[in-house]
Amino acid sequence: MSISSARIRTAILAYLIVAISLIFFILPMLWIFYTSFRTQASIFTGAVISPLREYTLENFATVLLVTDFPTYFRNSLQIAIIVTLLSLFCSIIAAYGLSRFDIKYRNALIVGIFSTQMFPQVLLIIPMFLILFSLNLIDKVLGVVLAQMILVLPFQVWMLKGYFDNLPIELDEAARIDGCSIPRRLISVILPVALPGIMVAAFYSFVVSWGDYLIVSIVTQTQRTATLTLVTQRLGASLLVRWGQVAAACTLTIIPTIILFSFVQNRLVEGLTAGAVSGE
Amino acid sequence: MGSEKKEIPMPWKITPRFTWKERYSGYLLLIPALAIISLFTVYPLLDGLRMAFTDRSLLLPSYEYVGLDNFAQLPSDEVFRLSLSRSIILTTTVVVLQFILGLILAWAMQQRLPGMGFFKSIIMASWVIPVAATVYMFRFMAQPDVGLINIVLRLLGLQHLTRYWFGDPNAALPFIMLLHLWRNVPFYGVAFLAAMQAIPRSYYEAAEIDGAGGWSKFRHITLPGIRNMIIVMVTIHVLWTFNNFDFIYLSTGGGPVNRTDVLPVYVYRLSWESYRLGYAASVGAVMVVILLIYFVIYLRIHERPGAAK
Repeated sequence: MSISSARIRTAILAYLIVAISLIFFILPMLWIFYTSFRTQASIFTGAVISPLREYTLENFATVLLVTDFPTYFRNSLQIAIIVTLLSLFCSIIAAYGLSRFDIKYRNALIVGIFSTQMFPQVLLIIPMFLILFSLNLIDKVLGVVLAQMILVLPFQVWMLKGYFDNLPIELDEAARIDGCSIPRRLISVILPVALPGIMVAAFYSFVVSWGDYLIVSIVTQTQRTATLTLVTQRLGASLLVRWGQVAAACTLTIIPTIILFSFVQNRLVEGLTAGAVSGE
Repeated sequence: MGSEKKEIPMPWKITPRFTWKERYSGYLLLIPALAIISLFTVYPLLDGLRMAFTDRSLLLPSYEYVGLDNFAQLPSDEVFRLSLSRSIILTTTVVVLQFILGLILAWAMQQRLPGMGFFKSIIMASWVIPVAATVYMFRFMAQPDVGLINIVLRLLGLQHLTRYWFGDPNAALPFIMLLHLWRNVPFYGVAFLAAMQAIPRSYYEAAEIDGAGGWSKFRHITLPGIRNMIIVMVTIHVLWTFNNFDFIYLSTGGGPVNRTDVLPVYVYRLSWESYRLGYAASVGAVMVVILLIYFVIYLRIHERPGAAK
């Protein structure tokens, strides 16, 4: 067998895997987008393609104008933004401390922080509910935010610490010798260089908060803090499911994450696994 | 985390002259993160484990310590036994399949072919969208009449296979596994690819001169080369899959007739639908023990010498 025929075989096999992957991973998303533009009647014909007049924007109109979707959207956005900012602040300074300073039991701390992710959240949330209850934070934005911090913070610290480790010490060492304070060193030396990693960390916490169901389902009691995952679940749990509306709600929930994803996609894996490859 | 056990060349060993103020600042920087982690993870963990020895209910403010009563009930609790075995089966199957399929995907993406760059840039989309959206997407596709899966099956003349996939006692659990694969395989693929690309080409060239075939190159160069990434991905996903709650809760709620119950869903239902916090915590404590066992095994494997580089 000649080399070129082996190459062709490889290419065919690779494209076959790509084609199957596109059908399996991408088609379901396109299908739900597509469904969001179809009428209930056209969905229920069971046909894949229907006459042009059966496509509509009605599902989006209903979801946006009739249901409380906009309120939930605002809640989701508000909570996700606060979680992102707060967790970034905490994780950046903690990661900087762990990466650059002489801290006792440093490795044990890092392993400890990382391993907090190992504990079942369904167990942690029982005492957490009681804590939030006694702090009068049930059904408050702050309560949801603080509870969601545990979903993102340990992973973020671990990942950013790995990212900072890969930045040469000479950068901030020079600034230190020049007499820059720690905040100055962080803001004007480290942050600009570490921006790609920090963007991934921000993306991670936004997406986790945006998609969280567990914590919201416990801490939220009223519309005040209800988020999109709850409204999707409610739309889909009714007796006669209006699939067009569920699809529209899903589409509107998915789109912000996809937009943000398009900004970080090149760096995503490099950033997420920075903690894994640091120091090697 | 893989690398924490090794001695990393510490920057401050090169420049060890920190003033006292600086040392102190290092700890100050850690305070906010550690405070939040302590209050909302460490304390709840300890309190949750303590609660496992009480008869605490969500409805009553008072409770008593009942010793090992909760744990004594577990062996005769059929839902617990089923959930336990199913959790382990689900986690093992899902992680093994993700690993294999991730490797295959990484291999395909490694080929320099037209269109591959675009494919790589969109393939992780399934990982970033909210789980609730994923679940409803698949619930819609699994509908008996209007779902895409059944439409396609009918087109292929496979009428007898059409069903509501989440409602079928035998199909529900495999279908949930499929959701896990849908979400995570691209992440594995892209992560393995990143690790593969860091392996120097000269290794492969040297192997080719020695007459190594494709499999032998994969076995002796690729796999050892991405070993650390494999360890990290598998560890993270064992934890995430074993603790995962929302996939099953939102898709089947543990049904039909407990056929898809796993430990996290059982703990959730016990605490927030039956209000039996004490008993729920004891099931949660079992989960902690299992994860600790895994963690110990993981450390053992990781400390094993002979990791080829």
